[in-house]
Amino acid sequence: MRSLRPAVPLSRDKQDTLLLLASTVLVLLPHTAHLPPWVTLVCGATLVWRAALTLLGRRMPANLLLVPLAVAAMAGVLQTYHTVLGRDAGVAMLVLLVAFKMLEMHARRDLFVVVFLCFFLVLTNFFYSQSIGTAALMLVSIVALLTTQLSFQLTGAVPSLRTRLLMGLKILALAAPLAAAGFVLFPRIDGPLWGMPDDGHAARTGLSDTMAPGQFSNLAQSNDPAFRVKFEGAPPSQPQLYWRGPVLGAYDGRTWTRVLPRPNFGRKAPSAVSIKVRGEPLRYQVTLEPSDTRWLFALEMPRALPQLSGGPATVTAELELQASSPVRERIRYELMSYVDFNMQAGDTLENAYQWLLLPYGRNPKALAAGQRLRQDYPDAMQRVQAVLRQFATGGYSYTLQPPLLGGDAVDEFLYNTRAGFCEHFAGSFVFLMRAAGIPARVVTGYQGGELNPIDGYFTVRQSDAHAWGEVWLPRLGWIRVDPTAAVAPERVQRNLAQALPAPSPFGFEGLGRLMQPDPDSLLARVRYAIGAANNGWNQWVLNYTAQRQQVLMETLQENLFGWRSAALLALACALLLIAGKFSKRRRNDPVDRLYSALCHRLGQLGLPRAPDEGPTAYAARVAGAALAPEPKAAAAEFLRRYSAWRYAPPQSPPHGAGLLTTLRELLSRVR
Amino acid sequence: MTTAAVTRLALGARIYAWLRGRRSTWRERTTARDRGEVELSQRRVYILPTRAGLGFGALLLALLVGSINYSLGLGFGLTFVAAACGLVDMIYTYRNLAHLHLRPGRGSAVFAGEEAPFELQLFNRTRLARYALWIDLDTMKDPRHAVDVAAGSSTTVVLSSTSRQRGWMKAPRVRLSTRFPLGLFNAWSYWQPDSRALVYPFPEQDAPPLPSSGHPSPDGFGSAGSDDFAGVRSYQPGDPLRQLAWRHIARLDPALGGQLVTKQFEGGSLDELVLDLDALPPRLDPELKLSRLTRWVLEAELRSLPYALHLGRQRIGAALGPAHQAACLEALALYGIPDAAR
Repeated sequence: MRSLRPAVPLSRDKQDTLLLLASTVLVLLPHTAHLPPWVTLVCGATLVWRAALTLLGRRMPANLLLVPLAVAAMAGVLQTYHTVLGRDAGVAMLVLLVAFKMLEMHARRDLFVVVFLCFFLVLTNFFYSQSIGTAALMLVSIVALLTTQLSFQLTGAVPSLRTRLLMGLKILALAAPLAAAGFVLFPRIDGPLWGMPDDGHAARTGLSDTMAPGQFSNLAQSNDPAFRVKFEGAPPSQPQLYWRGPVLGAYDGRTWTRVLPRPNFGRKAPSAVSIKVRGEPLRYQVTLEPSDTRWLFALEMPRALPQLSGGPATVTAELELQASSPVRERIRYELMSYVDFNMQAGDTLENAYQWLLLPYGRNPKALAAGQRLRQDYPDAMQRVQAVLRQFATGGYSYTLQPPLLGGDAVDEFLYNTRAGFCEHFAGSFVFLMRAAGIPARVVTGYQGGELNPIDGYFTVRQSDAHAWGEVWLPRLGWIRVDPTAAVAPERVQRNLAQALPAPSPFGFEGLGRLMQPDPDSLLARVRYAIGAANNGWNQWVLNYTAQRQQVLMETLQENLFGWRSAALLALACALLLIAGKFSKRRRNDPVDRLYSALCHRLGQLGLPRAPDEGPTAYAARVAGAALAPEPKAAAAEFLRRYSAWRYAPPQSPPHGAGLLTTLRELLSRVR
Repeated sequence: MTTAAVTRLALGARIYAWLRGRRSTWRERTTARDRGEVELSQRRVYILPTRAGLGFGALLLALLVGSINYSLGLGFGLTFVAAACGLVDMIYTYRNLAHLHLRPGRGSAVFAGEEAPFELQLFNRTRLARYALWIDLDTMKDPRHAVDVAAGSSTTVVLSSTSRQRGWMKAPRVRLSTRFPLGLFNAWSYWQPDSRALVYPFPEQDAPPLPSSGHPSPDGFGSAGSDDFAGVRSYQPGDPLRQLAWRHIARLDPALGGQLVTKQFEGGSLDELVLDLDALPPRLDPELKLSRLTRWVLEAELRSLPYALHLGRQRIGAALGPAHQAACLEALALYGIPDAAR
């Protein structure tokens, strides 16, 4: 292994440069995940080039060579992103700039430029990830950058890299409480300060306002959280957790879309939607993940609009909640819902025709079946139950991989394939209802949620996306009917994983069951703990908004600014002051400390120093005492040296590290 | 002029006087001679951000604006951590300089025009190692010396300043500064060391040959003859080439200031060599007289001729040796300077 070390130790400049390179690599590494491969390659090559130049002691390339390279790299960015100003393009430019700057470092100023750019690159990494891991990496990067910066400041003595890393760590440790105070107390402004470029937000998965085949089964693959909910009181039972989203009423034979309000047709204003509620309301707080759409989700049925910081929320005639602008960051809102309600429970439904429209000439079998239902059952409720019975007993199955359907999708599903996901069941159900003369519509949203027992938050994931039906019956109003529940009751009772047949990874039956941990196992508890940590992180670090700050400040004010805290503060200050005085008195010369240690040790050996005894007199007494020869000689030498130093004329040089070392060594020999 | 204007004027004058007072106390504090050992107390250490520090401030602003604009919660964290690191750096930089003990060391004598060395000792009596302390005379734009002082130890620095005139030369004001650890702040302090260096007169370059006695003959310094070899003296233009002491020249190292020397022959008896200020031509510039005597002292010492020095009433008996030479040079250096006794 020895041969790997360089025969001659590297010069300080080279060591510093390599340290800077290492810090830069640390900062750039997380960026490789989203940069185009060619940028990563160019950066890597540049940094390796710089390292080679440093190790070989060669000169840096001339600007004549660097400028065309930099221009070519800029052209490459333009080619890749079609701009040099957007967010991603800007990050790529910065990364390239740092890499090229490493080849153009001549003065100390250039070091600061590189380090400061690195700090900014740490920030840009947060565009892509703000997880706890990223935060940890941020701290490591800061320590590396601080260590580099202080290494460049050294002039003569250079402590070992370990010592310097400890210095960097110490700076960070001392900065931490200050930073925490700044984080909590600094007045927050809700961004953005200026219009963000269009690529300011990455594409998100989530519910859209259409329902096309395959859409929900795609979502079911995603384990990303859609939103988290914290109930104030006891949470409702799992089958009641229907989170209402877009309501779809228009069908073109393939895709369900929303019924768009026609400006001149005068749809009823939202306030005219009559809702009767019973029982106690449920109060809860929703933390919605960014979805890039305006949809807000609420437990059926919300009363009162949520308060949003960006602008007022609105409600449509179908009781869909919408934010004033697309949700591009995590938002939090308080809501109140009633599980027991009647909606538009009158004798007639205005504009009922738009919930009865069907595409012309499509799905003739289903159409005929609906008309047959109408003849067989005069009561509308019976028609609904007949269809649900058909789903439950007609050999239908619930699957994530439904067979592909052709032009008459409803017919094929109902009478041929008989296997589908919630979107198939909800769509076909609403089709049959309309054919049977009952106003019906598809409601999309989420169903269920997983309770984290550690922090009491429900996590609703994209895989909980669901579609169900709503039918209007005279005097009862709009009633929720979930045809999926008729086929796979577990979907609603428990969750999706329980409702689907167990997968068999690698062809082993039952292995899939093993991989779904039961909620009490250690694995599940670890998963809950991680989930709770992530949620706390989101709530308190990433989404620490002006609103949350205000609430916290009010709480702090209530609790802190009474006379008790003032008295406590005064007491603490007094104690600190006394401690400071005390420690100042104790802070004496290291040589004197060693002398005290020697006196103490000799005291243990039965030769305590008299309070009025000087070192010379003490030495004489020690010399005459009955001690082993070796400690006696050491003690005598110690006292001689101490006396010589203590009573030396003032202009003599002070004790160097040499005297301390000698005395320490002598002290160790007095046993 | 209205009353209000008068009041304003009076107030302005008072503020101006107060500022002047502050300024003079500040000047006093920064220029007052510090007797013996000095501790760089809190009041003596000044601190300001460097250009890199200002750049760091701009970086913090950029981080903050970026965090606000893109609502990056973690970005706020980074911003505040970086800002707090800057603050910690400020305290560290201050602490790197504060409570350092300084003591002037021994000064040594030089000839006018040479660099006078001032030895300064830096004591670190704390448990904190101090790195990268820059120290130099205040007159220097960029400090030339950087030192480290380990915990509980001391370091000696020798600063040199060009001496201009003979006499005691006070140590110039010293400026200590540091940017360690991060280079974002510059802490500095002034110190007026209580030390001085003795500056001898500049030895005259083309001095006439040594006189043989304190009583020159009326035709100049005419005792230099050509009969007996008396010794060597430094070459002067006009000396015949055959009189150059070639063997002597060969022995002298030119790097040590060796120069051409001329053999000197004297007739008559060898009197006691008396270097007398009053024996020099009275119309000669007084400083030039001292300069010439300095040269002669050096030359007599070089040729091992015992010499006496008479400076007005001050008389130093004939002798030889470094101590005698030093005494003579000191007398020459301080001749006629009123507060030389200090």
